[in-house]
Amino acid sequence: MWRKVANWYRGWEEEQIAVLERPELAPGAAQGYRRAIYCKMAERSPLERQQMRDFCVALKGWRGWLWTAALLAVYTLCGVALHLQSPGFGWAKAIVSANMCGIAVTFALVGAWFNYRQFSRKKLKLLVAVLGFAVFAAVTSTGLSMWLEGQPLAHALERVSNFLRGVLVGSLAILELVLIISILRNRHYEAMNAQLQREAEQARLARELSESQLRLLRAQIEPHFLFNTLGAVQQLAQHGAPRAAELTGNLIDFLRSSLRDMRSEQVSLAAEFGLVESYLKVMQVRLGERLRFSLQLPRALEELRLPSMILLTLVENAIKHGIEPALRGGEVTVSAQALDGAVRIRVQDGGVGMSAIAAPEGSGGTGLDNVRHRLRLAYGEAAGLHLRDGEPGLIADVTIPHAQA
Amino acid sequence: MTMNPSVLVAEDEPLMRERLLEMLAQSWPEARVVLVAENGNDAWDGFLEHEPDVAFLDIRMPGLSGLEVAERIGAMAHVVFVTAYDQYAVDAFDAGAVDYLLKPVQMDRLERAVARLKAKLVQPPADGAAMGELLRHLKSALPGVRQERTRWIKASVGRQVRVIDVDEVLFFQSDTRYTRIVLRDYEALVRTPLKDLLSTLDPDRFWQIHRATVVNVNAIAAAERIDAERMQVLVKGSDEKLAVSRTFVHLFRE
Repeated sequence: MWRKVANWYRGWEEEQIAVLERPELAPGAAQGYRRAIYCKMAERSPLERQQMRDFCVALKGWRGWLWTAALLAVYTLCGVALHLQSPGFGWAKAIVSANMCGIAVTFALVGAWFNYRQFSRKKLKLLVAVLGFAVFAAVTSTGLSMWLEGQPLAHALERVSNFLRGVLVGSLAILELVLIISILRNRHYEAMNAQLQREAEQARLARELSESQLRLLRAQIEPHFLFNTLGAVQQLAQHGAPRAAELTGNLIDFLRSSLRDMRSEQVSLAAEFGLVESYLKVMQVRLGERLRFSLQLPRALEELRLPSMILLTLVENAIKHGIEPALRGGEVTVSAQALDGAVRIRVQDGGVGMSAIAAPEGSGGTGLDNVRHRLRLAYGEAAGLHLRDGEPGLIADVTIPHAQA
Repeated sequence: MTMNPSVLVAEDEPLMRERLLEMLAQSWPEARVVLVAENGNDAWDGFLEHEPDVAFLDIRMPGLSGLEVAERIGAMAHVVFVTAYDQYAVDAFDAGAVDYLLKPVQMDRLERAVARLKAKLVQPPADGAAMGELLRHLKSALPGVRQERTRWIKASVGRQVRVIDVDEVLFFQSDTRYTRIVLRDYEALVRTPLKDLLSTLDPDRFWQIHRATVVNVNAIAAAERIDAERMQVLVKGSDEKLAVSRTFVHLFRE
């Protein structure tokens, strides 16, 4: 019999810890009250589950029993002290009531320790529950003891009110303790939660930055870009064409400035235009008369800082999805213009236009998503990327906030 | 097979094109380059005109991709793809149905491809079915090699501009620099050459039956034999009879 109970208890403990660790197990538990409890536990936040799990692990097996025994011993000692203090209480009565009070307080405190979020949210409800419980306890226990002692009901009202006063004072004191604990714990919880969220956000930002760096690296060693460019260099060099040296020079410029971009989060507009120019020069040698381009950067905007790689991504898109697929090529125009409180950077291509960008397949979309995302990180809602039909081709406008000097 | 095989080269970047032609002249002096195309549409149109024995096709080109041109060529010629897609992406070629060259093309690799072509030219081109399978696989595996399909064509009819739903077109016919679009109730002329319109049509629903004619499959009433080699197509809702060239007669074999 004892072994059976012990086994049941151990199984229950292990199941509970398992559910706290992996809440998705909860619906798989055997039908009944246990499953209901597990499902409730699974709804808690990960932080709360972690705290409960630590508690369960700390009290697993014999340690739980040891603590229970220790607490009961303390309560019993309190009962003994109570009896010695006021001999009106019999031995049994003092010890039993001390234990009952102690267990009730322990449950209340443990409950507050783990249900702080609910408790601190539903203070009023809790107060009503405690008052109701006090009245109920007073009435039933008075009735019970009077019936046992065979006293007439005439004294009932007096005794109930006496008892009620005692129970009320006691339970309100406990309630106060419970609320203080829950509120403090809740504050702690919220601070920890905010801290965790901050850390997660920081990790996300770091990951996104390295993702866009990786993207740029991949764009450089993208086989179509690198091998076609090297092929062009090889072909020009074979004939000793002076353009070979020029093309190599532009490729070096492009690779060097994109490495610099990769290391810094913000760069000047002049540096971005330089990067884009070396890229376009490389592409022009490769595509011949199919690509024409022009760059317009007003001197006043040269020092404007903006997130790196945004402009290059737009120009790469213009080449890849606008000019390269167009039978007769087209012109790429990159310009910056100061507007009222903002700067608009425009990449316009005379290529195939909207339909290719709207196509879900290929890598076109991800580059633009990345641009939008980095703009949002840097400027919030104040910046934006807008695409529209250029008839022919596509116009991509990036607007970033800029206070006039 | 002739001693001087005819060759088509399709490559959109001028320097790479120049390079391939020079290297080809060195490694295969007896080959005649009959057509140099700068995009997929010209490559296919030129193929129909010259019917070369070998086609060197860049995979990523404006208009039809090299894969789409190869699909149309089928078993009519030996295809060698020229591509900058990395080794991993083109592993599928190693199945052997077609050869491929990685860009930038290196001399020793081209010489090997030419040697293989010389051996293959003695026999008819590879089995079309195996190649079709390979091309379908590559088209889904390689990004950016599928030509966008068009649904609407803008055409002027008299003083109006009509927006024509391609599904309602009975057939397209090349008319020097224009394309004639024939519908049930009227016809229109557009400035776009047929070879460029063709590349934006779904090849399963619009069959090319001649270098100058593309017909909507739903509009075909019947195909009739004129003699051993020639056929013509009767179109629902039109009394014109459209000639089927020898290249496309296979479309109507049972």
